[in-house]
Amino acid sequence: MDRPTFDLDQIRAIIALAAEADLAELTVESDALKVSVKRGAPVPAHAAPRQAGGPAAAGSTPAGAMGDEARSTPADNHFQPITAPMVGTFYRSPNPDAAPFVEEGDEVQPGQTVCVIEAMKLFNEIQAEVGGRVARVLAENGTPVEYGQPLFLIDPSLNGS
Amino acid sequence: MFRKLLIANRGEIAVRVIRACRELGIRTVAVYSEADRHALHVRMADEAFCIGPPPAAESYLNIPNIMSTAELLGVDAIHPGYGFLAENPAFSEICEDVNIAFVGPRPSAIEAMGNKAKARERMRQAGVPVIPGSDGPVQSDAQALGVAKRIGYPLIVKASAGGGGRGMRIVHSRDDLARALQTAQVEAQSSFGSGELYLEKYVEEPRHIEVQVLADKHRTVLHLGARDCSIQRRHQKLLEESPPPGLRERFLNALGKAAVRAAHAIDYTGAGTIEFLVDRDGHFYFMEMNTRIQVEHPVTEMLTGVDLVQWQIRVAAGEKLAMNQGDIEFRGHAIECRINAEDPALDFRPAPGTVTSFVPPGGPGVRVDTHAFAGYTIPPYYDSLLAKVVAWGGSRAEAIARMRRALGEFTVGGVPTTIPFHLLVLDNAFFRRGEVYTNFVQRRIDLAAPS
Repeated sequence: MDRPTFDLDQIRAIIALAAEADLAELTVESDALKVSVKRGAPVPAHAAPRQAGGPAAAGSTPAGAMGDEARSTPADNHFQPITAPMVGTFYRSPNPDAAPFVEEGDEVQPGQTVCVIEAMKLFNEIQAEVGGRVARVLAENGTPVEYGQPLFLIDPSLNGS
Repeated sequence: MFRKLLIANRGEIAVRVIRACRELGIRTVAVYSEADRHALHVRMADEAFCIGPPPAAESYLNIPNIMSTAELLGVDAIHPGYGFLAENPAFSEICEDVNIAFVGPRPSAIEAMGNKAKARERMRQAGVPVIPGSDGPVQSDAQALGVAKRIGYPLIVKASAGGGGRGMRIVHSRDDLARALQTAQVEAQSSFGSGELYLEKYVEEPRHIEVQVLADKHRTVLHLGARDCSIQRRHQKLLEESPPPGLRERFLNALGKAAVRAAHAIDYTGAGTIEFLVDRDGHFYFMEMNTRIQVEHPVTEMLTGVDLVQWQIRVAAGEKLAMNQGDIEFRGHAIECRINAEDPALDFRPAPGTVTSFVPPGGPGVRVDTHAFAGYTIPPYYDSLLAKVVAWGGSRAEAIARMRRALGEFTVGGVPTTIPFHLLVLDNAFFRRGEVYTNFVQRRIDLAAPS
């Protein structure tokens, strides 16, 4: 009902997150607020790292561009989001008394359940598509999520290492 | 009255519904696909929720995601617009089950009109004239031959579940009937999942005339006059006007009364349209009923001053219609031109792309319903309707002159539109005399001619 007020700390955290992950662009959206962060000077289109394109995208970034970025932020420049495949309510644990499926810093395997989304009275388990370390939990427990909303950021560089 | 309404649609009709809600003091929820993230209805609504990827089957037709959004955001009504889920009885039923008002008729009324052969039979019983033909579906070639003998040739074979011209065959003689039944059945089976067919007398050079009705939940049904939608191409309407040119008031009254009977017969509620074919001798026949708001509803709104979308919402909330038949006045003449992002010179090929400039017309007697703006990118996934221009005039000639003026002002850059086509129609001598029929475009408009 009320107009959302801007929580500066939240926005700062989002900017820091975008910087830490070296994302060129990050949009975080809830029903109350939408924040888009675009970083740095315009870069040639081919050099813009696209995080959502799956494992192949990161690997196919031109070497020159990779070189620059790799220097500025070693290691975590290829976070992969886990997005909501449906509209529903996001829950981090199988029931209110249970511990969350995953916490920040945990390692997840491909296919491992990371959360549930309740839709039409059904609980749908959501699995990680890639393995790695949970870098961030983006959605808040018990809140509505829309289709395509990023729920977690996974750092796949730790996968299998 | 409702507190919060979700619009399960996109484009200009989503914008139209948001406007009606705002005037009624109802909060709005837009849903959108990933292709519509920057769409006008998303910006205009109080809240917006992404419900799926671009293909409509996974977003605007995704009932689980739409119902989840409705429940999560606490809406008490859903407006389906037209197309998508508007005539899906299952959707209307699901809304009923979870106590969310569906802005439209009950599932039984949608179902009654959904099967064309059954609807025809029901209308015949209610005393609404139907085109002579088979009583219900035909089961065999022998039965079809019998019906053909009774109604004569030419006749038309139609699919019970059909629409949009698919599963249809015109038959000129006895020799062609068996083959037409066979091909229509195959087409109907693959298009609609049902090969059920029925026969009708083929009306040559008919006019397509439809009657707007509005019904509340207290058994009041009103008609709001007739629209002539004869200017169409491949069963797609392009220009609509009201009142239909050249018809007597007595005839239009009879048409209105038949439409009210049709709505009563299925306990209809909300806004709906009964489509009739009118032959050269002035007979009218029930064709089908659209159980939803229609694209061309503004024509009637301009002529009567009745806000159909607001009333749709009000009767869904249980309100009684505040007027009776005698209060409905028809003033002057109104015309609507559908401006599609299509290239008339290239067989009306849809042309998705970015609208680089957009200056809609204005001034006296002109209304524009659109979701477009300069910089808007038309996605390739949905229909090509870009804007509806409606012109009102004291007489038909005035309305035509005003529409020519309005279309002349309309600037759309970046994509081809149907504006040049409409200017050809408006300048056509036959059109100006009111000589229209459903194959008018084929017969009278030369699209290759330099404009």
